[in-house]
Amino acid sequence: MSSAASPVKRDRLIALLLGIATVAWLLVAEKSEGFGRDEGQYMRAGERYWGWFEELADNIKHHNVKQSFSQGGIDRYWSDNAPDHPVIMKTLYGLSWRAFHRCTCMGPARGLHPIPVRGRHITLPLFARESTAFRFPAMLFSGLLIAMVYLFARRFVPRPAAAAGAVLALAQPHYFFHAPIACFDAPITTMAFAVGFSYWKSLRSTKWGIACGVVWGVALGTKHNAWFMPVFLAAHYLWMRRDDVLRRHRPPRIPLAFVSMALLGPPIFFAHWPWLWPAPAARVQMYFNRHLLHEHYNFEYLGMNWNNPPTDLAHKLIRTTFPFVSTSLTVPVTTLALAIWGAVLLLRRRRGDAVVADGPVEAPPEGARPSWLRPGADVDRAPGAFLATQIFGPLCLLAVPSTPIFGGVKHFMPAMPFLAVAAAIGVAALTRVLTAQVRALQRPRLARALPAALAVLLCLPAVAETERSQPDGLSHYNLLAGGFAGGASLGMNRQFWGYCVAPMLNWINQDHADNRRMYWHDVLGDALHMYKREGRLDMAVGDTGAAEPGIQASSMGLLVWEKHWAIYEGWFWESYGTVKPAYVRDREGVPLVIGYKRSVK
Amino acid sequence: METVPDGPPAPRLEVSHTRLPLSLLAAGAVVALALIEALVSLTAPLRAPKADDWAAAERDVRAGFRAGDLIVAAPAWADPIMRMHLGDLISIPTAGRMDGARFARVWEIDQRGARAPVGRDGRVVLEHHYGALTVRQVERAAANVSYDFLARWTDAHVSRVDATGAALPCPWQGDRFQCPQIGFNYVRRQLVEVDTHLRWALLAQPVERARVVVEYPAVVLGREIAVATGLSNVWMRKAAKGPVDLVVWIDGKPAMQVTTRNESGWLISHIDTTARAGQTAAVRFEVSSTATYARYFGFAAEARS
Repeated sequence: MSSAASPVKRDRLIALLLGIATVAWLLVAEKSEGFGRDEGQYMRAGERYWGWFEELADNIKHHNVKQSFSQGGIDRYWSDNAPDHPVIMKTLYGLSWRAFHRCTCMGPARGLHPIPVRGRHITLPLFARESTAFRFPAMLFSGLLIAMVYLFARRFVPRPAAAAGAVLALAQPHYFFHAPIACFDAPITTMAFAVGFSYWKSLRSTKWGIACGVVWGVALGTKHNAWFMPVFLAAHYLWMRRDDVLRRHRPPRIPLAFVSMALLGPPIFFAHWPWLWPAPAARVQMYFNRHLLHEHYNFEYLGMNWNNPPTDLAHKLIRTTFPFVSTSLTVPVTTLALAIWGAVLLLRRRRGDAVVADGPVEAPPEGARPSWLRPGADVDRAPGAFLATQIFGPLCLLAVPSTPIFGGVKHFMPAMPFLAVAAAIGVAALTRVLTAQVRALQRPRLARALPAALAVLLCLPAVAETERSQPDGLSHYNLLAGGFAGGASLGMNRQFWGYCVAPMLNWINQDHADNRRMYWHDVLGDALHMYKREGRLDMAVGDTGAAEPGIQASSMGLLVWEKHWAIYEGWFWESYGTVKPAYVRDREGVPLVIGYKRSVK
Repeated sequence: METVPDGPPAPRLEVSHTRLPLSLLAAGAVVALALIEALVSLTAPLRAPKADDWAAAERDVRAGFRAGDLIVAAPAWADPIMRMHLGDLISIPTAGRMDGARFARVWEIDQRGARAPVGRDGRVVLEHHYGALTVRQVERAAANVSYDFLARWTDAHVSRVDATGAALPCPWQGDRFQCPQIGFNYVRRQLVEVDTHLRWALLAQPVERARVVVEYPAVVLGREIAVATGLSNVWMRKAAKGPVDLVVWIDGKPAMQVTTRNESGWLISHIDTTARAGQTAAVRFEVSSTATYARYFGFAAEARS
């Protein structure tokens, strides 16, 4: 190992360890998280997509490959959850399930699979529960993100601070909740960072200029947040090359990364999604329309229920604050304080300076010449502007009053790892201040130990808050808000889509007399199937269906508490003749799920 | 390929004497914040009310509860847990009450320093602490309800009056007054959701080019009639915006008109009847709208002294 390569290898090793630790933490945490209505659908779709591969293998064997690529052969499998979302993650979920679950598929839950189970699956049974196998790729993506955050932060700060930044990227209760589930919000956060990172490298590397297009193509196949990534990057690029316009009076060259994104992104997106193949134009249009015309679901913010774009100025202004207020009330406060410190440092930084005094210098290599292949080779890459565009881009997008806010924090989570990098810069600055003091006291040993100790200390609240929040990260609010209770008092959204019922399944299982006629409210069939497949829910537990008729037909039921579901509780009261719940699942005294039994008065 | 991370070290910044205290102060503040946040995070679950606290509060309330008392939780979000313990003492009309005016005795189960709005104007006559919970019994000046339009709703005559003034009677059918020809044109007492709160009310959807009329022939008047109106439910408010008018007539004279919109919430209006307190009168409610689509109009009323 050469002396020059050694530090790089050491960083890669640390990044790998951070990634592995991330996956390990998520594996421990995920089992307590229930299945939401979206995740259940994605698991179902993932398994169905696997069915296409299974059939393709059969068709290859029988020399009938064309059948798998016919419209019927494609739509039978790939029309599931289309045109809602592209399929990279769902396909990975399906493949991971097929490879790693412990098969009990021939048992009583055999009929609950979305595709016929032909026989016992031969697998590498890494995981006791099928859902863990589905979720595993999402966890790997989170591991990748945390490793990348470390490596990116290392460009600006010493190792302890970079490691702290990586931990602070993971230890955010809302992000952590989303990180292990088989959805797209955590993976697209990874991909946003990957696109940003590869763009950053592309500014001085042709190879990364080409790679950036590939990475963006994968992001397009992950979730539609990717549509906006080039806008945020372009904003940075224009700032970085502002002298072209201001001094040289000519537009900056279009960089290789953008050319690559334009040329490689759409073909990768098209190629990855078989559902598009039979009618490309029409189906791409359907996909765009699905999101451009998306309904505004109900969502609580500052005590108000939002389900339409606001029309009056006052409500527009309140609505605009949503991503900023939500960020300030959900991200651990110490992380926010560190990020603000980092931002101040970046604002005060002069071109060519190091971001922190003892960190690497950002100045361009001497003698470098401008080129569209390496458009950041001759200029300072403006790390502050880069982080600002990546943080505020997603936030500002969700601040537009006409955009729906359901889903809350998850829709602007791609900002969060960049915020963690800013926090890493804050950690480095703070460390430097305190180390200087300790050195002045002639305590060299303490001075040497201080950076690591401070990194641990500054991560402690975020880790503690994240642990505290589980498995109800959606309901968690930070110190500023006052925790679970403070969030409820402020009228912040408490949860959505029925993730929160997993801890009360035993209560449901125990009541054989009533649970045959069980009303499930916002817990949908796909989630129930998965609970039953894993043996967490008695196979005989019933499902009386939706809304008021479902409640009227039930003997017991639950209500996932959200502001807009109040009428459902009214239906319980009228149908059961009581206002007395039989069970309330709460966190720190804040109700999350209300259980009713017809027999309890 | 870049090899930036361990590039040449930058020159060390000299920390000036004037700037040091500020950065040191900031560093100290962030470290203190980290310690406080971690400490709060670890101890917050311990500060929440426990099952034993609720059980003790329940025993206390049950021991002193009298019929007609109101039990509330503060903050309001704790209401489901309170009902899990004491819900058998709370009727559906009480849970969906129009307001708290009629309750002379209120039991509050409070936490985290919160107080229930309904108890704020009263006198605390009992206060017990059970862990993180505080039980307060509040006595307050209550309204005397001389006529409850919801409780007496079957005394009403319901009809639909068209633009020409012709009235079609809406006869009693099972659980409602059902008007002819239009399925949704009925008047029924039920829970409605207004502004995401449940209210016990008369549901009377307006119909096109007509008024839905609910007339009480013999109402014992007090000093006022309090009328609450609202639009149910969250999906109907999402789907439509039309305002709904309610006109109240007393003995054939218009006494009040109130217009209810999506954003009105549970709107309580007052008609001064001091001059006729103690008298009996016919009170008529007329519901109409120029935009009737998805207008689940609910109202409740009390004659009070």
